[in-house]
Amino acid sequence: MLQFLVDALLRTADLALITLGLSMLYGLIKFPNIAHVQYAMCGAFLAYAINSTGVPLVVALVLASLLTGLLTLVIQLLVFDRLLKSGPAIAMIGSLAVSMILVAAVLGMAGSFPRMFSVPYAEPLVIAGARLSKTQLWFVLTTLALLAVFVVLLFHTQVGRAMRALACNPALADASGLNATRITNGVTFISGMLAGLGGSMLALSTGAHVNLGYDLLLPVFAAAILGGLGNPIGAVAGALLIALTETVVTNINFGPLFGEALVFLPVSYISAASFLILLLALLFKPYGLFDREVRRV
Amino acid sequence: MYDFLIFTVTIAGIYAIMALGLNVLAGYSGLLNFGHIAFAGIGVYATGIAHARGWPVLVGIPLGMLAAMLLGWAMARLGRRLATDYWAIATLAVAEILRTVALNEAELTGGANGITGIPSLFESVPGPWNQVYFTTLVLGLVAVAAFLSVRLGDGRFGRALRLMREQPALAACMGYNLQTLKSHALMCGGAITALAGSLYAHYFNFAGTEFMLAAETFVLWTMVMIGGIGRTSGVLLGVIVVQMVYAFVPFLRDMLGFGSDVAGSLRLGMIGVILLCCLLWRREGLLPEKLRNPA
Repeated sequence: MLQFLVDALLRTADLALITLGLSMLYGLIKFPNIAHVQYAMCGAFLAYAINSTGVPLVVALVLASLLTGLLTLVIQLLVFDRLLKSGPAIAMIGSLAVSMILVAAVLGMAGSFPRMFSVPYAEPLVIAGARLSKTQLWFVLTTLALLAVFVVLLFHTQVGRAMRALACNPALADASGLNATRITNGVTFISGMLAGLGGSMLALSTGAHVNLGYDLLLPVFAAAILGGLGNPIGAVAGALLIALTETVVTNINFGPLFGEALVFLPVSYISAASFLILLLALLFKPYGLFDREVRRV
Repeated sequence: MYDFLIFTVTIAGIYAIMALGLNVLAGYSGLLNFGHIAFAGIGVYATGIAHARGWPVLVGIPLGMLAAMLLGWAMARLGRRLATDYWAIATLAVAEILRTVALNEAELTGGANGITGIPSLFESVPGPWNQVYFTTLVLGLVAVAAFLSVRLGDGRFGRALRLMREQPALAACMGYNLQTLKSHALMCGGAITALAGSLYAHYFNFAGTEFMLAAETFVLWTMVMIGGIGRTSGVLLGVIVVQMVYAFVPFLRDMLGFGSDVAGSLRLGMIGVILLCCLLWRREGLLPEKLRNPA
């Protein structure tokens, strides 16, 4: 049972940071950026590249996330700002193009073989029968700490208030003298950093590979939509929900239903589970579970 | 060289039919379908399953088109309450779910091994001529699809779709049921694409999930976007441009001698760069859609 919770928590940590960044950025730029998950993939490869030159792992992770943030900002300024003038649909197709280019660049430079980080092997911690490696523990703790910092930033500082104001009502925020460009750029940078960090920490256990981004695409979007795009805290809750469902679906024994001893869903259906939640969410709660806004359309 | 040419032309033809199908949705109706390859996948598997069950080989084609129309109807139902960008993600999810199902239901689809040994359409014809016949058939179907697509676009249905794309409220005012329009467009585009999928299965004698990757949808989108979204000749031009890039990469590989990863990345990267440049500098594509002048 505890192992079950640990698995769900780990999966949440996989998704949470990337989803958080995606959702936060959506609040400001109002189009779903498909390339966001590829930033995570780039972060993973950057961390690997920096780490393999002999830089300590923690420093490599921080550097990689800063570089990913920078990359995100540059792409936003050079590409998406211009595309957004033609509307969100064009920007979304543009994000497809960007994600193709990023995958192509990484594939060309690093190849399709997964790159494993040389993390020193340590005995996994065993807490009441649940196994958890040290790396995973650090991953979860870092994610939780960052989320806490983020909540404080968003709800208890001037910057956070400006961010929320801008997401909520851009015209009014502009009229009140907020510097929209600076805030958007800042948020872009932060969301890129979070994606890079999330991706590189994920790669610590799975290795950095080219399909990292594609594999994350639908779970991350499912979580973000479930939490309501544009709602960063909802995104984390969405990630938790997706992680719980994925873990439940793979751990439940359907045997009694079919009159057999052991019937488990094939592991490859895990991803289908999150897509199914996404579809159900879109059908019944298209604006997320935590939507309180009244709409007349 | 001759074989390579025939191969390139045939593949281009099959993709052209798929792209024309996407053009009905994306071009005429302005629907962001990011799961378009699911229609082709249905065609591929309809033919494959018909063969595996021992049914006459041509049954697969109408079967696939019917199934694709059903899927199109379902996708339109899904889109009833969704904004376009949400709907785009939903279609992406639908395509991925279908791919996962196809990968796992081994009894029906052969799982990861796929269905092999699907007969090509002109088995009895000897030598290289069966290839030529097939290519001619594909090109003929492209011509038919292009003709239908022009007719459709200029007819009442196409004009209604364009009106829905530009001014949904006005279209509703004029008595069009937007939901019906959308589902008809999806059924129409889906059926055309499923036909191309069946041809694909006959050509490669194989049905598998590699045809259903999301990346394939993006390739179709690139073809439609760079050629000229909403215009039949534009879409055909886009297909030719993308296929030329694809056909060019193997030569480059032999000349410079790099590995398959680099070749794959070069393909993907070139398509991405072309699409991005087109979006940044020539959004309407190489051959822009001609809208009738109201005056």
